[in-house]
Amino acid sequence: MEEKDKALIVFDYIYHAMRAKHVLEEAGFNIREVAPPVDYRTGCDLAIEVGTDDVDAAEDLLIEKDVLILDILFMPSSTSLTPIYLTKLIKVVDYGDYIMVRCGNMKITFVKETGKIVNISGGGCPDIPYLGMKLYGTVLGEGPRPREIGKTICAYTCEHAYEKALEIFNELHGKKGK
Amino acid sequence: MLLLVGTIPMDGMPLTFGKCEYDGSTLKIGDVVLEGQYVTLGTAAMICAACETCNAAGAELPYACVVGDTGMGEGNKKLFDYLIENITEIKPSVMTLHYILPTKDLFVKLVDTIDTLEKRPFMIADAGALLNAKAVGISRRFDMFTPDPGELSFLADKEAAHPAYVQHFIFDVDQTEVPKLSKQAYNDGNAPKYMIVKAPVDHIIVDGKVAAVVNEPNVPTMEPIGGTGDTITGESSALISTGMPVEKACEMACKINRVAGEMAQPIPATTIAQFIPFIGKATKKVLAV
Repeated sequence: MEEKDKALIVFDYIYHAMRAKHVLEEAGFNIREVAPPVDYRTGCDLAIEVGTDDVDAAEDLLIEKDVLILDILFMPSSTSLTPIYLTKLIKVVDYGDYIMVRCGNMKITFVKETGKIVNISGGGCPDIPYLGMKLYGTVLGEGPRPREIGKTICAYTCEHAYEKALEIFNELHGKKGK
Repeated sequence: MLLLVGTIPMDGMPLTFGKCEYDGSTLKIGDVVLEGQYVTLGTAAMICAACETCNAAGAELPYACVVGDTGMGEGNKKLFDYLIENITEIKPSVMTLHYILPTKDLFVKLVDTIDTLEKRPFMIADAGALLNAKAVGISRRFDMFTPDPGELSFLADKEAAHPAYVQHFIFDVDQTEVPKLSKQAYNDGNAPKYMIVKAPVDHIIVDGKVAAVVNEPNVPTMEPIGGTGDTITGESSALISTGMPVEKACEMACKINRVAGEMAQPIPATTIAQFIPFIGKATKKVLAV
């Protein structure tokens, strides 16, 4: 069977990569989040892999939605790109009245009873202390989310920790939904 | 001179360079006074910890070069442009890079410029600077990193561009994993000569090997508190700037942070702002000054 090529959409800032993921998934594109090739890396990167048949439509949609694309790279389907592993990176620690959820290098701690966020830790980019300031004291599921405020892959990781924290809080209180 | 570098999550804060003073509730950097939440967030937490340590140790207070940036990189660029232009005049003896937005060209240009200095400063990287140094392949041009176990996993995975892409991630310090990953990172050229692996058991690493372990006092409720790693970076930077041998400074910094934790008696909801004021007292106790 003939190998199908793949296309990789790369971005200047992860903020645009996060938006691209959301826009393309909402539109029903089949995508994969991967690390860009070495020459395009800065240390805070997320690229979106799409099939070559879909790439023109994906590009048009991203332009229409004001998502800034740095470049589109074409490569053989055999090219190995590291996928993001966030779902494998979750750990939960129970501190009695509090729960800490860790996803990779990011941690969120909340009060079991109320869902109030009392600490956010980890990360290295400028938006993380900002995100910590905005989320501190808010209630899971009611306040702003990391994906709305953050602009880096650490924020993206924090969003996964937030999702898990919200899931645990909802389970504890018999609620549904993320 | 100890120079601490990083971003402050404040829109519109101008590029600021100057001497730092922390009084327990406000942080002064040059002519700028940070108040409220801004005093102890990210880079500011490290600066406050360094001020407390320097004060208690009777050392010269640190200088900082900071700028407002909430993640889009405008401040970040100004910060690097300023340092590339002025580092020759500033002449720090120790320079710690902290919360920055990863960027390739400016970051490498700054390190290139530093390498041309007549007397090269002792270079420390934590947070975004640590991630960036490894991602662009210049870890060995730094002297020290202060990773947590997750960041160490990232340093040891030569393919990973960010901790989110690490294939073998460790959450907990393990007596086997930390030495193994430290050696791996060092042998691959992705770790500098010195590292503090900050965790429930702190490891001091020299040339890829465990040189010391610090595990007492053990305060488990410090882990959820955002900023307790930043404070170790500030404390170790401060002690190294006093001329203390690096390995000893690392060990003392880990002890100071733990003793401060014991004094603060934290719960998971304790904030780093409540923790930092204990660092001065802890420094005096650990250094017996």
